[in-house]
Amino acid sequence: MNRSVTRERIVPIASSLAAIVAAFLVGGIFLELRGKDALNAYQILFQRGLGNSDGLTETLKQMAPVLIVSGGLLIALKAGIWNIGVDGQFLIGALMAGAVGANLAGDVPQAVMIICGAVAGFAGGLAWAIVPAALAVRFGLNEIITTLMMNYVAVNVTSWLVKGPFKDPDRVAPETKQIPYELRLPFIPGTEVHIGLIIGLVVVVLVAILFRSTVPGYMLTVLGRNKRAAIHAGMPVGLLTVLALLLSGGFAGLAGANDVMGVQGVFKANWDPGYGFTAFALVYLARLNSLAIIPFAFFFSFLLIGGASMPRRADVPTYYIQILEGLMLIFFACSVYFERRLMAAWNRRRSEGSEEHAAPAPIESPAVVVGEV
Amino acid sequence: MSIGDVNVADFLTALLMAGLLRAVPLTLAALGEAVGERAGLLNLGIEGMMLSGCFFGFWAAYHTQSLAIGMLVAIVSGIILGLIFGVLTITMRVDQVLVGLAITIFGAGLSAFLFRDLFGGKNVAVEVDPINISIPVLRDIPIIGEPLFERQLIFYICWALVPIFAFVLMRTKFGLEVRAVGENPFAADAAGVNVVRVRFTAIAIAGAMAGFAGGFLCVADVKIFSIGMTVGQGFIALAITMLGRWNPYRIVIGAMLFGGLQTLGDQLQINGVDIQTEFIGMFPYIGIMLALVILAGRTALPAALGIPYARGQR
Amino acid sequence: MVIRASAGIAGTLGAQDVPVVQMKEISKRFGTVQANSNVSLQLFPGEVHAVLGENGAGKTTLMNILSGMYHPDAGTIEINGAPVTIASPSDALEQGIGTVYQHFTLVPNLSVIENVILGMKTRFVLDLSGAERRLLEMLGDFGLTASPRTEVRHLSLGERQRVEIIKVLFRGSRVLLLDEPTSVLTPVEVEGLFKILLRLKAEGVAVVLITHKLEEALEVSDRVSILRQGRKVGELLPDDIAASGRAATKKLIVELMFGGTAGGEQPNADSQHQSADGIQTTATGDAADSGRTLLELRGVTALDSRGAKAVRDISLQLKAGEILGIAGVDGNGQKELGEVIAGQRHVTSGSVSIAGQEITNKGVSAAAKAGAGYVTDDRLGEGAVPGASVAENAVLKTISRRPFSKGGFWLDRPAIEAHAQSLIDEFNVKTPDTSTRLTLLSGGNIQKLLLARELATDPQVLVCNKPTNGLDLKTAQFVLQTLRSQADQGKAVVLISSELEEILEISDRVGVMYNGELVAIFPRAEVKIETIGHLMLSGRDRAEAFA
Repeated sequence: MNRSVTRERIVPIASSLAAIVAAFLVGGIFLELRGKDALNAYQILFQRGLGNSDGLTETLKQMAPVLIVSGGLLIALKAGIWNIGVDGQFLIGALMAGAVGANLAGDVPQAVMIICGAVAGFAGGLAWAIVPAALAVRFGLNEIITTLMMNYVAVNVTSWLVKGPFKDPDRVAPETKQIPYELRLPFIPGTEVHIGLIIGLVVVVLVAILFRSTVPGYMLTVLGRNKRAAIHAGMPVGLLTVLALLLSGGFAGLAGANDVMGVQGVFKANWDPGYGFTAFALVYLARLNSLAIIPFAFFFSFLLIGGASMPRRADVPTYYIQILEGLMLIFFACSVYFERRLMAAWNRRRSEGSEEHAAPAPIESPAVVVGEV
Repeated sequence: MSIGDVNVADFLTALLMAGLLRAVPLTLAALGEAVGERAGLLNLGIEGMMLSGCFFGFWAAYHTQSLAIGMLVAIVSGIILGLIFGVLTITMRVDQVLVGLAITIFGAGLSAFLFRDLFGGKNVAVEVDPINISIPVLRDIPIIGEPLFERQLIFYICWALVPIFAFVLMRTKFGLEVRAVGENPFAADAAGVNVVRVRFTAIAIAGAMAGFAGGFLCVADVKIFSIGMTVGQGFIALAITMLGRWNPYRIVIGAMLFGGLQTLGDQLQINGVDIQTEFIGMFPYIGIMLALVILAGRTALPAALGIPYARGQR
Repeated sequence: MVIRASAGIAGTLGAQDVPVVQMKEISKRFGTVQANSNVSLQLFPGEVHAVLGENGAGKTTLMNILSGMYHPDAGTIEINGAPVTIASPSDALEQGIGTVYQHFTLVPNLSVIENVILGMKTRFVLDLSGAERRLLEMLGDFGLTASPRTEVRHLSLGERQRVEIIKVLFRGSRVLLLDEPTSVLTPVEVEGLFKILLRLKAEGVAVVLITHKLEEALEVSDRVSILRQGRKVGELLPDDIAASGRAATKKLIVELMFGGTAGGEQPNADSQHQSADGIQTTATGDAADSGRTLLELRGVTALDSRGAKAVRDISLQLKAGEILGIAGVDGNGQKELGEVIAGQRHVTSGSVSIAGQEITNKGVSAAAKAGAGYVTDDRLGEGAVPGASVAENAVLKTISRRPFSKGGFWLDRPAIEAHAQSLIDEFNVKTPDTSTRLTLLSGGNIQKLLLARELATDPQVLVCNKPTNGLDLKTAQFVLQTLRSQADQGKAVVLISSELEEILEISDRVGVMYNGELVAIFPRAEVKIETIGHLMLSGRDRAEAFA
């Protein structure tokens, strides 16, 4: 019996790693076909992100928003709810934090300003998720399209606002008032990494606690794994849906606040870092397991950082990272398939065999993946 | 007549010119998506397929200066992505939403990468010599004459696809099988239909049309490639498909509406109306959500949409 | 009026004594269940052959093999004497075998004619005019007034079924398989169907009628095969049926199907039964001592997921200490009835009360709070979360109660584990530990866990749907014993099952559901197996059969 339990833990990790390796391989072949030196490119990628302390610092800084967005997204995906609007929620939160933070800067103690900015960011992102949530519960509208549309609306709304009412009157460029450098998120003592990283880690841990130790977390998990069972057990499905959307929106907004208050200092028009895609790939590769997000966030962060220097030093456009993310998700999908077949084969061989014979093998949505927490 | 400095007739003509042009990619993508969804496949990869069509069409047209070849290459790129989607969702029966997003991420990344790599990200314009059609007499009708009767050949070809798709869906064996497979795959299987083959064909068509849409957008309309240039039009097309309940003619109406909405802002601005670009820019997306709410009760999805099919146990 | 099957028929019309289809020694296994075991069947042209059996007897599997949906593990199929391989539904159709499945295989939003020609080899561009003419004729022959262009969803269930039959005949089928065709028909429609079958018979078509309804089978068939637990236990030839007369034939069939001693044995009130391995259960013959009414249904009507009436105007009362066994063949509304009591299914009329509290249409948690407990038959589909651990599943329904959660928010994992552990100890659920993934347990152990879980909530009214499904004898007995003792402690139990034996073993009263109605309720002492059998198969007891 122990063997199968161990198998169950190793297989998902192995298949995620396999998906990553496969993506790098196929991507590498593609690079070679484009006439680049793939090995060199990868070397630079890893070197830049990990090799020196400078790169490491950047990676760790980059981890902050990645962690926060992914943590929030995890809540939705684990409940089987497709919140594809995290980019929009991020932007709204960022704008709110920029506006609030800049206005409070200097007038209140730094801590207060930061907390207010964070709250504003969270609230902004949460508010942006209200419309899709309401539409889902009231009209039964699938959240996929509504959250997607809200992304594009957010890009326009924030742009409009930052060119209009939220614009810094003293500057030409459309951006909010600047938060003075010394009032931005403080660094972790002894490093040049701001505390956003800590906040990110805290968020992930909170999400882990949510799923491991709370009733709502338990219910969200059941909802994501077997909606019929959730209904059978009398769980409040509508309420849970709204909760998942609002929380994931809020965290996306908080990540926006982190970037504005920690790195940028302002909210600019035409700024859209788009962590959504990264978060998606990340959360799935982490098999919807909260704590596993941390190492994967590190991995993806150094990919992003390393990727930024690839154009200059390896003649590879940064968008290569996005190609990798797409490939990783595609190969992840393949791995789900192979895992399913492997599990079915193992189950058949065991003497206690499954008696659910007439039904075809249950089709699992990726929300139903092996992952403890 | 004029309102202020604006000649209303000219305004409407310009609106129609641009709006109908904008409606074409939406229509193309939505037609393809309609076939796919009728067969039971929800294709969120539509945005990535469109972007890849944008780029590959641009690239091919740029080097050959041929509109036709550009379109062809765009279509092929869409088909390839469509088949990848097919293998993952039909053969491997992995969740369609996840696969669709993966393909969109991949397609977007691929097109952006290749653009930077091959064109250095410069704003080069493609130069193709479109075949212009001008129908005498009709083109002189005020307001609608020019927008409807004096356009590129490919413009007409695209609109011609609408009745063709309607015909194929409703009056051919393949269309019948598509409609059956998306509604009750068990029944189709029991009747001897090859469910897998029908679905693969359907998704290939969806991919082809999405690619075509992207190619058209870039080569026949805007003529410049920019990263992420579809800005969600793929998803809007997807929404239009559902709103139009997979009926090609209703899709056309929706596409025209949203095409119009997209250009309305530009047209208003050109004519000196002081509206922020972003404000107008929101309209199509908010419009889609409003439309979904209004028509919510009446969208009956194909029963087997999004659900993989497995024949009992062999 | 002659039914015209389409031209271009594959194969020749066989002579009366040459079987058109011969299934030899067919076996099929799913997982650990042997669905068919060396079953042989012969189909003759111009003959209606009924295949009778309870649920799980293997009738549908056998038919699915013939229709190309399944492959047999062993055995051969011969058509007109030649061995064939039927690899897919289109193979079957090409061989002239047409199937009308129990769950309709028509596409609702397509028209009649589109449904009929679906899957046929036609040209790319459909030319429906020729087909339409032929179809119109056939529609007329079958008494359908709808035009071929009508969308199927506008037709009644009876009309749809006729379209299904037309569909397979249109494609030249000479062998017609019908799976439980009368389950959704009104009596008038059933008559119409039988007329059609008799005409097809005259045309030389071989008809297979899969059914559990005895009356109908005998009324229209020439030959009867009886399946039981995957095996063929009897075949009655036309001569046998003619010779013995209806009554005796029915008796024999019931005996073969249910396996108990047929007719006449009436257990005394308060008699003690010895079950197979000696666990003693006490069957209290009379209705339970008058305690409070714990469950009351009044005029309850509910629809199934297809929108058809599954529960028709049912009223019943259950007192504390009572076990009501509901017998019936699957698909007669029992599952829906259970869901109604549990609050999981909406009722369109009537009322449901538990322990005096009205819970009609108030939802699952209201019903649970009032004291309803429900063990579903769909263990992994709805009763549990397959990917979760034993412990997590053990508290699925009670997670927000103390002590599993503090303040309804924080999970108390140790308490959950302890509870799960006590459940698996008490009910002897074989699992390495409480953190094992549920799907690693055998079906039987999962069932035990679900039952244990439900009992732990101390429900006043416990509804169990097929609780011993997949359990070995000893465990099944344990479950029944548990239910009995729950009742003895003052609970009310509704036991829904298609296994007559277990119902008879522990129930105080036995009800029979047929076609959504509760056609009879007897105190245990008055039960005769034969009567129940008849009721399950026809909705009428023997006495009225000859009316």
